Amino acid sequence: MELNQVTMKFGGVTALNDVTFDVKEKEILGLIGPNGAGKTTIFNVITGVYQVTSGEIVFAGRSLSGVKRYKITKSGIARTFQNIRLWGDMTALENVMTAADTHKKSGLVSGLFGLPVSRREEKRDKARAQELLDFVGIGEFSDRLAKNLPYGVQRRLEIARALGAEPKLLLLDEPAAGFNPSEKVELATTIRKIRDAGYTVLLIEHDMSLVMKVSDRVVVLDFGQIIANDSPGKVQDDPRVIEAYLGVPEDAS
Amino acid sequence: MINLRDKGAAIWESQGRLGRIGIAIGAVVIVVALPFMGGTILNTPIADYESVLVYPIAMYVLMAIGLNIVIGKSGLLDLGYVAFFAIGAYTMGLLGTKTDLNTWEILPIGIAMAMFSGIILGIPALKLRGDYLAIITLGFGEIVRIVALNLGALGRSEGIINIPTPPSIFGVEYRFDSHRVYYWTLLVLILLAIWMVRRLSVRRAGRAWESIRQDEDAAELLGVPTFKYKIWAFVLGASVGGAAGVFYASKTLFIAPDNFTLQISILILACVVFGGMGNIWGVILGAVILGYLPDRIRFISDARLLVFGLVLVIMMNLRPDGLLPRKKREKAIVKKGAS
Repeated sequence: MELNQVTMKFGGVTALNDVTFDVKEKEILGLIGPNGAGKTTIFNVITGVYQVTSGEIVFAGRSLSGVKRYKITKSGIARTFQNIRLWGDMTALENVMTAADTHKKSGLVSGLFGLPVSRREEKRDKARAQELLDFVGIGEFSDRLAKNLPYGVQRRLEIARALGAEPKLLLLDEPAAGFNPSEKVELATTIRKIRDAGYTVLLIEHDMSLVMKVSDRVVVLDFGQIIANDSPGKVQDDPRVIEAYLGVPEDAS
Repeated sequence: MINLRDKGAAIWESQGRLGRIGIAIGAVVIVVALPFMGGTILNTPIADYESVLVYPIAMYVLMAIGLNIVIGKSGLLDLGYVAFFAIGAYTMGLLGTKTDLNTWEILPIGIAMAMFSGIILGIPALKLRGDYLAIITLGFGEIVRIVALNLGALGRSEGIINIPTPPSIFGVEYRFDSHRVYYWTLLVLILLAIWMVRRLSVRRAGRAWESIRQDEDAAELLGVPTFKYKIWAFVLGASVGGAAGVFYASKTLFIAPDNFTLQISILILACVVFGGMGNIWGVILGAVILGYLPDRIRFISDARLLVFGLVLVIMMNLRPDGLLPRKKREKAIVKKGAS
């Protein structure tokens, strides 16, 4: 997937300015930057929540501009939300199954008459949803309502739900927010496991040690512009990145 | 207060297959036998008991099931539901008096007309949400009534008279005063509607509606074609309303715009909320009580609407989620086959 010179303006505010980068297949790309740098805006333009002011987003050789949001998901991009947005009154399993319905062939009519195709798909999806819950390590919670789950489990359920939509590219929006150090370590393992299972991951995260540990490459954003795009080690030493996070020495005096 | 919903669910789940079939048959038998209980405490003073069973009770139940698909399942506030009821009724009135088609032939046409108008209303209206959607549907309900009031072909304020009763079917005769036959026919329609809703609720459509109700944006971003499923909810709700309308016209033999006021929309909405949005059994119970109560207490004449309102206010304070709220309880976490 690539972003070409993407600019996003809200009235007079330029949230993204001429952003160009690409995500390579089966890599974990970290996306970092200070608060308000435009990280979540990037997720929102990729998934079609906002239409870009100018520029183009290309996924698997096709432009995403003007494509309906659910069709973008169907074409292979799924995301999690920074502020958890699960369907609280559904069970964990149902949450994942709903996302898995994305690729179903059977719909309302075959469901109404209980046609074999619908019944077969239902059974297969249920098994797959359970597998995904096991995969992110919350298999035992499958029958619990999402709103009654502990915070950490909800965060993981967000990931499982996005995986349910069978994406090629998974967008994780601050999956470690509110986690303690040991939970973060577990999460890092999970993210690597996801990559090893064949998914491409684009990760927004504030926790530097986590990003630097799991990412293959890091893109740094500041005031809507890319200021670095390199391996984790090099990005850490980049003076412009340090400046963006800590301010220049003159400012500090 | 006791939790009726969980009590009922616990009894149902504790039964084996045979027990459940037994309960279901028992319930159907009681409901079918209701017209014969006119001499008991159930009897309504002044109004004819058997006709009360048909209208409002059975009619309300049918419409409430339809409206519940729209409001309870997918969370779309529709304040103009009476429009679909009116469209069904006027289809019956017009075709029944102007052509040779009989009620059974008009029934699918009336349902189709209601569904079609559901699409016409849904395509522009469902781009809006919440309060805005409510206002548009409210307007639609009024538009339909006002069109009927002004269109010469629909009889203006005089309405349509001499609408034929249904011809006999399977040897059952429909005379305008044989209320119990109409009642049983409505029961068949109600059972069909229950079957449809329950069938859809457990599969993809049910999950899609549920996700739309809880967080529409998240649903769209996780691949649920929300617009399509909202239209479906509207159209299916409309089809049930249309069927009720056709049958209503064929029962009362006379329809006029005054039968299709906003008040009906509000009353059916009250049935859904009072019974428990999203829970089909709650909605049915709500419709039965709200349909029956005003006629049962008719002996206090003018005070009855006051009492009716008071009951609503008290109940909604005691049970804001309705008599039988939607599923909130988690199934016991016991996996099948686990020892």
